[in-house]
Amino acid sequence: MKKIILFILLFLFAWIPVQAEEKEITLYLFHGDGCPHCAEEIEFLKKIEDKYENLKIEKHEVWYDEENAELDKKIREAMDITNSYVPMTVIGDTVLIGYSSSTGSKIERAIKHYMEEEYTDQVSKIIDGTYEKKEESEENNFSKKEKEMDEKVTIDAPFFGRVNLKNVSLTTASILIGFIDGFNPCAMWVLLFLISVLIGMKDRKRMWILGLTFLFTSALVYMLIMLSWITVVIKITTIVWIRNMIAVVAVIGGLWNLRSFLNTKDSGCEIVDDSKRKNIFKKIRKFTSEKNFALAILGVMGLAVSVNLVELACSAGLPLVFAEVLALNQVNSFMKFLYTLLYIIFFLLDDFIVFTIAMITMKATGISSKYNKYSHLIGGIIMLIIGILLLWKPEWLMFQFK
Amino acid sequence: MKKVKIIKISAVWCGACLITDKAWKKLKENYDFESVELDYDMDEEEVAKLSAKTVLPDFIFFVDDQEVDRLVGEVSYEELESKLLEVRK
Repeated sequence: MKKIILFILLFLFAWIPVQAEEKEITLYLFHGDGCPHCAEEIEFLKKIEDKYENLKIEKHEVWYDEENAELDKKIREAMDITNSYVPMTVIGDTVLIGYSSSTGSKIERAIKHYMEEEYTDQVSKIIDGTYEKKEESEENNFSKKEKEMDEKVTIDAPFFGRVNLKNVSLTTASILIGFIDGFNPCAMWVLLFLISVLIGMKDRKRMWILGLTFLFTSALVYMLIMLSWITVVIKITTIVWIRNMIAVVAVIGGLWNLRSFLNTKDSGCEIVDDSKRKNIFKKIRKFTSEKNFALAILGVMGLAVSVNLVELACSAGLPLVFAEVLALNQVNSFMKFLYTLLYIIFFLLDDFIVFTIAMITMKATGISSKYNKYSHLIGGIIMLIIGILLLWKPEWLMFQFK
Repeated sequence: MKKVKIIKISAVWCGACLITDKAWKKLKENYDFESVELDYDMDEEEVAKLSAKTVLPDFIFFVDDQEVDRLVGEVSYEELESKLLEVRK
């Protein structure tokens, strides 16, 4: 009888799905009190702690706590970490040094990886002395996965060889956003007025020098403002609420641009405020007719500076989203300079074309305001897409689609 | 056929005015009407009397010295031509 009951019980319970015991993943954070990147990572970890039920976070302050500093040293020695930078994050056999917005998503990928794949708490093994050092060539599975992901964004292009799609995408973004931003009409009317005054001069050399001074100073001012802007954004973009705020600004700016596109019935020149216009005209006439050529150049440079400061407020949306894209991709200083330079070249392309044609033909020409109208449409779409991605899929803006 | 006068208000700093110039010149060549060109900055008094719009260029159509219509912004030759033919009927 007992056997029958046991059989029935076994039969019944055999149908009840047995939930596999989920393994606990321990994330070790070695941080320093007062280190801003450590504080950012702690903020980030607070947010994901509840997201992963089986995630245990162990924090060790190493700058002031001697015991923790000793442990930190032991782990670095065992895992062949030759530097002493903080924060240092250890999950399984993966070690991440430093923290940026891209580290955040990498940490999450590592957690998911170890939840699905083989996981060994290497830190506890180091502590109890059972850790076995790996061969230098032996790569862990997570690193392999990450490398594969990087390779996915690399293609073999004719003539160029191996090309990283991330760099190509950032180059394309710099060209496209710069070009679209260039159609904002804020500075174009000043350039056209300058051209009309220059054409009236008989000295061709003077015309070219003063015109090019205006354009190059505009490029320089816009570039300096953008570079400092990007530097600030790179520093603050790891703070999630600031990134979200930039995203909201991008969405609002995008919608505003789309509204401008739909509402603009008369594609023509909006009349600039009378006093502002007259003031600029007065300055242009004064500087261009200045007998002392050095003073004339200085005057035109000063004019370019003031006009571009106003212009920045006029087109703030697109440089802001461009800065955010560069910040998310953690580009180094040299690449930051190159991408911004590319942006500026395309930003001023239409102005250079208008100026060169005018100087060669001695006749002023304009760019159809219809292009300006469509730049609202394209600029609006770009800002809207980037804003939405910043809110929901920031990793896509880092060209990580997994 | 009625006697038509068109006043064009433009500015040297206005790209759309420069773009529309070609169509304006062609219209003057192809049709017989009285044309007046005003500069928004140089002819301030006349422009003020005509209460120009906030967008340039501004084409004001007169029939027997009475304003009958306006075309504002960057317009094509066809738009100018059809408006001229419409007002002089």
